[in-house]
Amino acid sequence: MADQPEYLTPPSALGAFIRRNPVALKELRGRMRGARAFVVLSVYAVLMSLFTLILYGTYSASQAVTLSTSGGVIGKLIFGAVVAIELFLVCFISPAFTSGAISGERERQTFDLLRTTLLPAERIVSGKLISALAYVLLLLLVAVPLQSLAFLMGGVTIEEVLLSIWILIVSATGYASVGVFFSASTQRTLNASVLTYAFALAVTVALPIGTAILAAVGAAAGASDQVGLEALMIYGTYLLAATNPIATAVLTEVNILNNGGIFVLTQSLSNGTNVPLVQPWIPYTLFMAFVTVVMVRLSVRAIRRASLEGDTQPDAE
Amino acid sequence: MAAIIETHNLTKRYKKVNAVTDLSLSVDEGAIYGFVGPNGAGKTTTMHMLTTLLQPTSGEAYVAGYSVTKNPRDVRRVIGYMPDFFGVYDDMKVWEYLDFFAACYDIPEGERGPLIRDLLELVELSHRAEDMVDGLSRGMKQRLCLARTLAHDPQVLILDEPASGLDPRARIEIRELLVELANMGKTIFFSTHILADVREICTQVGIIEAGELVMQGSVEEMQRQLIPHREIIVTILGEAAPVKERLAILPNVDAVDDMKPDGGRQRIHVTLRGEDEEVSGLLAELVSGGVPVLHFTEETRDLESVFMRATRGIVS
Repeated sequence: MADQPEYLTPPSALGAFIRRNPVALKELRGRMRGARAFVVLSVYAVLMSLFTLILYGTYSASQAVTLSTSGGVIGKLIFGAVVAIELFLVCFISPAFTSGAISGERERQTFDLLRTTLLPAERIVSGKLISALAYVLLLLLVAVPLQSLAFLMGGVTIEEVLLSIWILIVSATGYASVGVFFSASTQRTLNASVLTYAFALAVTVALPIGTAILAAVGAAAGASDQVGLEALMIYGTYLLAATNPIATAVLTEVNILNNGGIFVLTQSLSNGTNVPLVQPWIPYTLFMAFVTVVMVRLSVRAIRRASLEGDTQPDAE
Repeated sequence: MAAIIETHNLTKRYKKVNAVTDLSLSVDEGAIYGFVGPNGAGKTTTMHMLTTLLQPTSGEAYVAGYSVTKNPRDVRRVIGYMPDFFGVYDDMKVWEYLDFFAACYDIPEGERGPLIRDLLELVELSHRAEDMVDGLSRGMKQRLCLARTLAHDPQVLILDEPASGLDPRARIEIRELLVELANMGKTIFFSTHILADVREICTQVGIIEAGELVMQGSVEEMQRQLIPHREIIVTILGEAAPVKERLAILPNVDAVDDMKPDGGRQRIHVTLRGEDEEVSGLLAELVSGGVPVLHFTEETRDLESVFMRATRGIVS
């Protein structure tokens, strides 16, 4: 068996599962081949570790702390910082992996080859998405030991860790699907990247600004005894926050720290009335699921439209 | 013989430009069909419509009985398409390239290994199976691309300039491969600018210009249609004038002209209407008339002449 070529060797069970989507298999093979993937993962792990070390060192130098007295604070700080960096990376790395998914095929002139096979547009899109997400998940997995430091130092519960991982995965899926959509809708990867990052910036930067404005209006309304408006602003703030990964993570963590539940909580208005709320990660999950479904369906439609109208111009000969 | 590709008034219009206009062609099953035309004539557009990559503006096309507009998936199942460029996937081995496309054609996992081995043997790339696709020569890439089109054992191969940009050896190898595939029962529809290849291997030829099919048929049929007369060169001993007078009055002779003498021998150019019998009759007339004939040859009517006569150099 040792001399048998690789293509004659039966695949493992995992290999057989991945092979069901040839696009995912091809992408993963290309992404993981050679030293590049190992180097990227190593550099990522080293940078994250250095960041954690610097954070710990800076905090220790500024405060007279020991692990026994302030371990919980340091643990929470490291955990929060690592998750924040990961969230930021997920928002900008996931689209980078997918914004060239379909447009790259056009640029390499391999799109026509794919379109004349029996591969349906759904499998092309899902293959691209799965392969990108698999790599992002690998990056998240690399950072798990750093997040786990929080357990060593205390201050973070298992629910918080699981919620953070959930928000990261949901964010990666949503942002990657946006990248696939723009890639399927444009001819050039550069255009797809610009549009994808514009979307990512709008969601991660512009929406928090809107959230802050609503929160401020809500606070002002509370001060002027306009209870109805105050309640409306609170719900508006939560809904807007639920479109942003960082706002969702921060708000969910703040609510948990304020003795809110994992799923639901209540918030008091200025007149003492309690309004029921769900934790932002739930509407965020629904929002990102909606974004993913819509983007995937639009991507499939864009690929089918290319088949109907043709990507090729008359001067192709 | 039954037609495996048929188009009826196939038309593709891009805004104001008619890329293909009312194209009606027919390719026999098992044929090697050369699709010839100047740049911009509409060859690639036609192929894109036949391969379901492009929706026709009007008209219809059928491949193996399936409509390209109504049954595109069935059409894809029976065709193997090779574009005029070689799309390269980075970081892919030769066998992975074939494995990927075999999987795209729903070929079961267990059948792919032996299939890849056979395909690589067919295109003589078995020794490069583990090499990266990017590292292959252009000729090898073309052969690999051809192997890819065969992964799902299609009935029809639609190849857009398969020998484009290849060196003479690689070109001959591709040509031989096409003949071998035709012997295996495949119908081959390919576009080319290399008329020598068409002359060498094609059983049918279609000439397209400015989006319109100018002619189609076998090379011989086209020659007869476009150049109905035969051109005979007669080399004689002695004076040419009496021979010219004698030939000029023959019923099938259109013209008799002097040619530049060759080594002091007189040469006469005779333009003759008719088939082989008339050519033979001309020689018999000369010999029976006592004309001292040294050489009697027919000027070859090559495909270039046919092509030049059929086309006018118009680009759509």
